[in-house]
Amino acid sequence: MVSAKVKVLNESGLHARPSSELVKTASKFKSEFFIKMYGYRVNGKSILGVMTLAAECGAEMELILEGPDEDEALKTLVELFKNKFNADE
Amino acid sequence: MMKSNQPKLLSGKPAASGIGIGRAAILLTGSKSVMPEKIGKQQTGDQINKFETARKNILRDYEHIKQLPDNSDASDIIETQIQTLQDPEVESLIRKKIKDERYTAEYAIFSVFNDYIQMMEATKVNWVNERVVDIVSVRDELIEATRERRKKLNIEKGEVVFAKEIPPTVMVTLSHIGIGGIVIEKGGLTSHVVILSQSLGIPCVINAHWDRYKLQNGMPVIIDGTTGQVLINPTWKQSQEYEKRKNDEELRYQKTREWTAKKNETSCGHTFSLRANVEFAEELANLKPNGAKGIGLLRTETVLFEIEDFNVDDQVAFYSNMLKATGEENVTIRLFDAGGDKVIDQSEAESNPFLGWRGIRMLLDKKKLLRNQLEAIYKVSGKFKGRIKILVPMVSQVEEVLELNEHCRYVEKMLEKNDVPYDENIQLGVMVEVPSVALTLDAFADYVDFFSIGTNDLTQYTLAVDRGNEKISALFDSFHPSVWKLIKMTYDAAKRHDLPVTVCGEMASYPEAAACLMGIGIDDLSMNAGSIPMVKAVLCQNTLDDMKELAKSVLSTNSLSEVHSHLNSWRTP
Repeated sequence: MVSAKVKVLNESGLHARPSSELVKTASKFKSEFFIKMYGYRVNGKSILGVMTLAAECGAEMELILEGPDEDEALKTLVELFKNKFNADE
Repeated sequence: MMKSNQPKLLSGKPAASGIGIGRAAILLTGSKSVMPEKIGKQQTGDQINKFETARKNILRDYEHIKQLPDNSDASDIIETQIQTLQDPEVESLIRKKIKDERYTAEYAIFSVFNDYIQMMEATKVNWVNERVVDIVSVRDELIEATRERRKKLNIEKGEVVFAKEIPPTVMVTLSHIGIGGIVIEKGGLTSHVVILSQSLGIPCVINAHWDRYKLQNGMPVIIDGTTGQVLINPTWKQSQEYEKRKNDEELRYQKTREWTAKKNETSCGHTFSLRANVEFAEELANLKPNGAKGIGLLRTETVLFEIEDFNVDDQVAFYSNMLKATGEENVTIRLFDAGGDKVIDQSEAESNPFLGWRGIRMLLDKKKLLRNQLEAIYKVSGKFKGRIKILVPMVSQVEEVLELNEHCRYVEKMLEKNDVPYDENIQLGVMVEVPSVALTLDAFADYVDFFSIGTNDLTQYTLAVDRGNEKISALFDSFHPSVWKLIKMTYDAAKRHDLPVTVCGEMASYPEAAACLMGIGIDDLSMNAGSIPMVKAVLCQNTLDDMKELAKSVLSTNSLSEVHSHLNSWRTP
């Protein structure tokens, strides 16, 4: 199991498009993926779970991965947060 | 499974009389309410398959939409929809709800999605709340898709149907099945469901909030269409009592039917005509047994909605069918009366439809539609000479009639050019349903052959009460003194010009009101076929003088309650 803390940098938060991007990327990996935020823990491959976090700009969360490709997955996902989910905003 | 076979009573509004006893059948067409129905262990596999099939089918549709070009804005939403359908948490929660808690696939989907929807709403974050609508639509699509097989109405003869509302086409199918009764949550007294129930003699209760009870398919129920009561899981004693009442009512009905064979005349020998209001071909079989003298009002909205492009040939077939089924009697065809509560297309929805673009107002703007209908009616009139009358709805000023006459002339010329025979003396009448017509009837006299009073709309427009609005439904009363005075004015003015007046509103289906109309002088009444025997029995057993007396007292008061008490004294015991 690996984990890392990240921050939402997108101005309008983890809204529909970033949420979708996050789920899409995470689903490419075999590892299980959970997000912990304010004591909540949701399945990071569940779009409805991610959306219910309603993470706004500046929100901090912990990404937890467990599985055969956990290192690569974590690296890719942390990168995604930094890139503001490839947003052109 | 919860114990819910306690007797329960709920009350709605009586809409079509009679007692229905049978098992409950819940009809879910178009309704988004989902019942927490449970299933047996052996059915869980089947329900999971149903859910998975529905999910795959919808996913396939979305993937297809996604591939369509030029959809950039929508494709984000579609991507989210696809991810929602593929959501592993949602899938496993739904499977669990079916497998462990043994709910139907429908309910499992409903309840799992609703939990998420509630959480999303609770976030109070704008962009999350905005997505709720998309999630709701995925939920409903999934539910609809799992129901696919159910669309073939799973209802058997004698069952009492419970629904939120029933679309006209479904109602026609139900009438073929021979159901025991209908309970609907919505509906007004003038809706299709009610009109058809009355005509076919199916007990019906409306505005009954049955969905608040734990009603399940197959539960024994009794409905009383005369009082509006609905009993779920009745006791043995209640069942006995209602069986007896049902038998008594049938006996009484048989008794009124004895009058059917007799002449249409009062006990003093004054003759009258009772005709049927008809909308569907399914109703034709009921005309003869009830003693209807032809069709006093043929509604054409439903059939025209089903005919593509209002095509002339299909209309000819429909009208010919009606004329063939009525022997030598007349058929009064009302022109397409859409608008108001029946809009052609949602983009034409208005904020105040009952005062808007409907009836003749719309027809004069949609010339193609109007001419097609006139052409079909004229063509049929050639084969059934002297039997067809045309009735024009929603007229409020005489200019509309003049303009319509030009269209009639146009159609006549066209038919002559093509050597198609038509009835040259086809009669044209206007509906008296807007008070302005009743108040200026003289202006119309030179241009029309008859008048027909539509009491439902005349009431609505006189009292300024939207007849579909449940909140003010208590104010809607066709027996209001102002309505009676307008009926009397209409009759008097028409008589001065020697023009006949008929009544084709549901008012005529109340025997005491029919007697009062006779007393005013109107002896040509049209109503739902099922009411004819009762009305006839009362009219045959009384003298015209007594009816004149009744009319005199009704017209002499300005108090609604006095009108009711005069009419009540005529009610058959």
